[in-house]
Amino acid sequence: MKRKSQDCQSRLPDNSALKQQQLPAYRLQLSANKILSGFFATGVFCLGVGVVLLLSAKTIKEVEINYTEKCANCAKLRENAANFDKECNCSIPFFLPETMKGNVYMYYKLYGFYQNLYRYILSRSNSQLVGTDVKDVRNCAPFKTSHNGIPIAPCGAIANSMFNDTIILSYNLNSSIHIKVPMIRSGITWWTDKYVKFQNPSFQNLSSAFAGTTKPPNWPKPAYELDEEDPGNNGFINDDFIVWMRTAAFPTFKKLYRRLHRIEHFTEGLPAGSYSFNITYNFPVNRFQGEKAVVLSTLTWSGGSSLFLGLAYMVTGAVTWLAFFSMLAVHLRLKERKMFFLQQ
Amino acid sequence: MTEPLQWARYHWQRLTGGANRDDHERPYSYSSLLACRGKSSQTPKLAGKHRIVVPHLQPFKDEYEKFSGTYVNNRIRTTKYTLLNFVPRNLFEQFHRVANLYFLFLVVLNWVPLVEAFQKEITMLPLVVVLTIIAIKDGLEDYRKYKLDKQINNLVTKVYSRKEKKYVDRCWKDVTVGDFIRLSCNEVIPADMVLLFSTDPDGICHIETSGLDGESNLKQRQVVRGYTEQDSEVDPEKFSSRIECESPNNDLNRFRGFLEHSNKERVGLNKENLLLRGCTIRNTEAVMGIVVYAGHETKAMLNNSGPRYKRSNLERRANTDVLCCVLLLVIMCLTGALGHGIWLSRYENIPFFNIPEPDGHVISPVLGGFYMFWTMIILLQVLIPISLYVSIEIVKLGQIYFIQSDVDFYNEKMDSTVQCRALNITEDLGQIQYLFSDKTGTLTENKMVFRRCSVAGFDYCHEENAKRLESYQEAASEDEDSAYTPSGSLSNMAKPRAPSCRMVRNGPLGSISSDHLTGSCFALGSGEGASEVPHSRQAAFSSPIETDVVPDTRLLDKFSQITPQLFTPLDETIPDPPLETLYIIDFFIALAICNTVVVSAPNQPQQKIGLSSVHGMPIKSLEEIKSLFQRLSVRKSSSPSLASGKEPSSGVPNAFVSRLSLFSRMKPTSPVEEEISQTSKSPQGSGNSACPIETEKQDSNVDVTNGKVESLPGQPLASSLCYEAESPDEAALVYAARAYQCTLQSRTPEQVMVDFAALGPLTFQLLHILPFDSVRKRMSVVVRHPISSQVVVYTKGADSVIMELLSVASPDGPGLEKQQTMLREKTQQHLDAYTKRGLRTLCVAKRVMSDTEYAEWLRNHFLAETSIDNREELLLESAMRLENKLTLLGATGIEDRLQEGVPESIEALHKAGIKIWMLTGDKQETAVNIAYACKLLEPDDKLFILNTESKNACEMLMDTILKELQKKNPVSPEQASSEALHQPPAPPDSGLRAGLIINGKTLEFALQESLQRQFLELAARCHAVVCCQATPLQKSEVVKLVRSHLRVMTLAIGDGANDVSMIQVADVGIGISGQEGMQAVMASDFAISQFKHLSKLLLVHGHWCYTRLSNMILYFFYKNVEHP
Repeated sequence: MKRKSQDCQSRLPDNSALKQQQLPAYRLQLSANKILSGFFATGVFCLGVGVVLLLSAKTIKEVEINYTEKCANCAKLRENAANFDKECNCSIPFFLPETMKGNVYMYYKLYGFYQNLYRYILSRSNSQLVGTDVKDVRNCAPFKTSHNGIPIAPCGAIANSMFNDTIILSYNLNSSIHIKVPMIRSGITWWTDKYVKFQNPSFQNLSSAFAGTTKPPNWPKPAYELDEEDPGNNGFINDDFIVWMRTAAFPTFKKLYRRLHRIEHFTEGLPAGSYSFNITYNFPVNRFQGEKAVVLSTLTWSGGSSLFLGLAYMVTGAVTWLAFFSMLAVHLRLKERKMFFLQQ
Repeated sequence: MTEPLQWARYHWQRLTGGANRDDHERPYSYSSLLACRGKSSQTPKLAGKHRIVVPHLQPFKDEYEKFSGTYVNNRIRTTKYTLLNFVPRNLFEQFHRVANLYFLFLVVLNWVPLVEAFQKEITMLPLVVVLTIIAIKDGLEDYRKYKLDKQINNLVTKVYSRKEKKYVDRCWKDVTVGDFIRLSCNEVIPADMVLLFSTDPDGICHIETSGLDGESNLKQRQVVRGYTEQDSEVDPEKFSSRIECESPNNDLNRFRGFLEHSNKERVGLNKENLLLRGCTIRNTEAVMGIVVYAGHETKAMLNNSGPRYKRSNLERRANTDVLCCVLLLVIMCLTGALGHGIWLSRYENIPFFNIPEPDGHVISPVLGGFYMFWTMIILLQVLIPISLYVSIEIVKLGQIYFIQSDVDFYNEKMDSTVQCRALNITEDLGQIQYLFSDKTGTLTENKMVFRRCSVAGFDYCHEENAKRLESYQEAASEDEDSAYTPSGSLSNMAKPRAPSCRMVRNGPLGSISSDHLTGSCFALGSGEGASEVPHSRQAAFSSPIETDVVPDTRLLDKFSQITPQLFTPLDETIPDPPLETLYIIDFFIALAICNTVVVSAPNQPQQKIGLSSVHGMPIKSLEEIKSLFQRLSVRKSSSPSLASGKEPSSGVPNAFVSRLSLFSRMKPTSPVEEEISQTSKSPQGSGNSACPIETEKQDSNVDVTNGKVESLPGQPLASSLCYEAESPDEAALVYAARAYQCTLQSRTPEQVMVDFAALGPLTFQLLHILPFDSVRKRMSVVVRHPISSQVVVYTKGADSVIMELLSVASPDGPGLEKQQTMLREKTQQHLDAYTKRGLRTLCVAKRVMSDTEYAEWLRNHFLAETSIDNREELLLESAMRLENKLTLLGATGIEDRLQEGVPESIEALHKAGIKIWMLTGDKQETAVNIAYACKLLEPDDKLFILNTESKNACEMLMDTILKELQKKNPVSPEQASSEALHQPPAPPDSGLRAGLIINGKTLEFALQESLQRQFLELAARCHAVVCCQATPLQKSEVVKLVRSHLRVMTLAIGDGANDVSMIQVADVGIGISGQEGMQAVMASDFAISQFKHLSKLLLVHGHWCYTRLSNMILYFFYKNVEHP
């Protein structure tokens, strides 16, 4: 009881800066001038960056060849799933009017492929891909196991629907001499993907590492035979596989396929002249009313050929300036009126 | 952090207590029960509805088991949970919140594999975290309450034990209904009990109810009739009666029941017989009672409701916005689902990316769309800022914490700071547009200070006193200033407040007490020493600064002429005493005795100062007393009313019986028994002598002038006397009289003793008291003057009333008549001057009656009192017969001082664009004066006074005023431009400052449906509105009207019970914890201690709370909707 009465002795609150809300605080005082100059400066900056970006994007050389229609016979063949083991090749000649200087990259481009579909994105097993447990196929249904219950490696819808056309670019020096343009198939992935997110199971022999699993139903070959030329590029760490597994955000997307190996004729880049793509047509796009194309492109410091970033900057800058001018007008009018009253 | 819990508990209690409440809300007439008393057949029927209390004693064991055994015992448990039910019950309560339910819905949705979007465990995480944190908070809170309960339950009291046949110490929790409890002075009452015995000879017990209702004056409780006469303590063993009373309810001011003796005789019980749990026994040596309600059924516990829950405007808007978000979410999900379905159906073949079900079959586009809908709800759940609610609540708790810890709201005198009782409307404080304020106690201090008086036509302006008060105020404000520095404030608190005050009292002046706080402090701090008690009471009632009056020197000079010889006309050598001197004597005697003030000496445990029989004549033989009673029994009700000053309640059928019982305490007062009354001062001598402490001899020659005299224990000194009055005016007048050495020493129902310095102690025999009522607006005492032995009527009342009752023709001759007229005129002038200064005026008058006149009047008065039909009117008539032909003695001006800082606050609020209305029950002049004083009205304001007798006149008047205002207002911009060319145009409402004054009667017309619109339009155009003579109901109606029709945020502030309805109706209700009890605070959302705190509360904290909260809400929507 004693203690209680002491507690009640005084209710005087603490006079500390925190409790009295007297801690130093800074509050932005927005004046018309500050706002106007802020808007103006932002507009200038955005427009400037936009112009630079657009200009740099203009310097990019790009060639896109849509081969959906051009290989119509192959497309027809692929429409029937029964013909899956029949090979279909298709050659598409084209003429490069000017030299593509510097590093040249080859992409494949798909139209109307909804890799962003929610359930599609989830249909993969990360623990399998990182090599810890090849037989972990938890989230992959229905591409979990084959008919006889053997787990699929790599499982899931993404892996199953992997882009499997092979594209070879050849340079036609003249009508008789066709040089195969040397291409590098490594170095087209993110470093983290290649070395962190995707790992083969640790076994001496890759095929024994995949023992007890089966290939995805749509694949012609198991994962450990993806690259016949380079044994180190097989299994889950195959570059093409990794690129495919990084799902795209839009239904129209292009993915890096190869990059130019700058040797011999191609040290400068791709010289002007006639070329042809030799495509082994495997990936059916008619099923989803899609299209596919192959793209050759150079890069600049600001990225690829897309004008989007530059345009976005331009639009933002323009809107900011619009706002600036309208606010300036309002401000001037108000000021005028104020002056009018003051004069009165 | 405690409040939300209390709120939750409150609601819980309301839920669980629903059955209980039905019980006492059911209207039933207990008087009908009393009317058919004696018919025992009625009893069993009522047994279910009422409670029967049987003493907890051996002989009644069976009956006790039957009735009282089922009642709850005195153990209280305010905790919500027990160890076992904590988890389920806490979860149950938490899921009462929509936000948590929504979270739960999402979690459950996520468990459905078809629509699963995130990992199940991750979605559960936030919910689990929130639930755990709140559960821990609840648990800690409950544990603290559990400890407090335990402490209270284990307090010790004296309970009669049937085994040991004596009172033994027992814990509070072991007290049961039917137990007999004996309490000493300053002990806290453990349960509601019926008072059966008090050591006071009159069977009165004083209790202090400050813990219950905050009223710090003492209340009297009466021993049950029939037990008063018992000279010794009631022996519980012999107690064979049973008590039947109503079921437990929360009405503090009601208790109905009866006590049935073993011989079927019944005695009615009322609230005067009930001691409430939580109150403290004061001024009474010991009391004994039987417990009727215990534990949670006591009135104190039933009244213990939690904080209020209001929803703020901002929150309401946020709610609609959230609903919009929900709508948006549904639309978005629907669009998504529809689009998904349509898109899927466009494909003839199944594309790669449309992966089939695990079992291989592909879902139809419709089903796919349906699943997509739910998936999208999970994905887009962030669109609904559900965390907003949690955040708002946390931010508001923080805001309340900051408001409560603001040093500027601290009031030293009361040791209190602002209390936020409603948790949800902090930001509404910043949105107030209309402010409705009470006057007395809110704007003013409600501490009456005697300022001036006019006696026999001379105005004594008490300049010294005024100076002293000023210097006090300065000293106080200096203290206030230094209180802002943390180091200075504490030391100042301990210091005497006013060094300039030349009167020094025995008690510490600071009067800082911890005792008269509310809540737990009160309940536990009860047993503290008696020394603390007087301080607290002084602090609450009036600080020494206010009670002391410095006498006016001119008046003191005149006092020096007073000698005892003035009243001995036998002495021929002295000329007739100057009339003025006689007037002065009479004036101050009237001030001292014409009231119902209770005298107590604070320093003693036995505080009641009764007049002992020593002053009276030797006690008559028993025979004589008996015969006296027999003769008196004819005139039952002519006795002076009880010391409480209240007439036995009228209209109740059993009033007659109650009066019969009063008879035992009756004094022979009629002139017929003159000689007896002269000789037998104390017919109940046995009662007096039974209490030895009471018969203390009064030291009549106490040096009153020397206030510094050390108080000797056991001797009440004048300076240490405490006056407890029903109204502060009375106390102020008694203190003023004391300053002129006319000290009220004691008061009993029979006599009043006044120590008049020059004349020595005078003992007035109280013949009759006509208590104050609002119809007559005056009160009178009839006394026998001890020196002249004449019957004198002293009347005190409102000037308008008294002036009409003055005698037209003086019996003493035309000269005197002229003098009276002169005096009247002069006094009227003084009164006008007082009113102009905002003083409350009272007139004092007297009338000397001959014995025969008095006897005549008394006879008629009996008739009036005993008549059954229109008793009220007859009594009024009777009073009119007594209170006429009065001789004016003088007038007093009492100041109801403005609270500190009120004008500044009102000015600041005005500047902030808040319209202030003053709603008061006072009369127009006083209200307008105060309005001017507190700058509610400016001197150059144009006043419109609405004071009409009929609705039509009211309408006409409002019409004309409106026209006038409309005529002026369009003109005002032009006026402004012509007057001041260089100033920007003023906002339209400040062009012409107009004040509207409306009185109660006109307000009634204005509030009628047809005139409402007009009235509001008028009021909206006025700068300030003063409603005077408004009833509490009108106050709330005005607030309601303005709130609903003008659609504005309203704030009502008040301090008394009459403001409760207004406080509850307004958007924000603020109670001032001050003089008039806690009802207003209980009903309020915020409780502050002074009006001046309002400006900071509204303009600083309200503004901060609003901007911060609205910014936060805006940011939340930005964050959640723009960037999901």
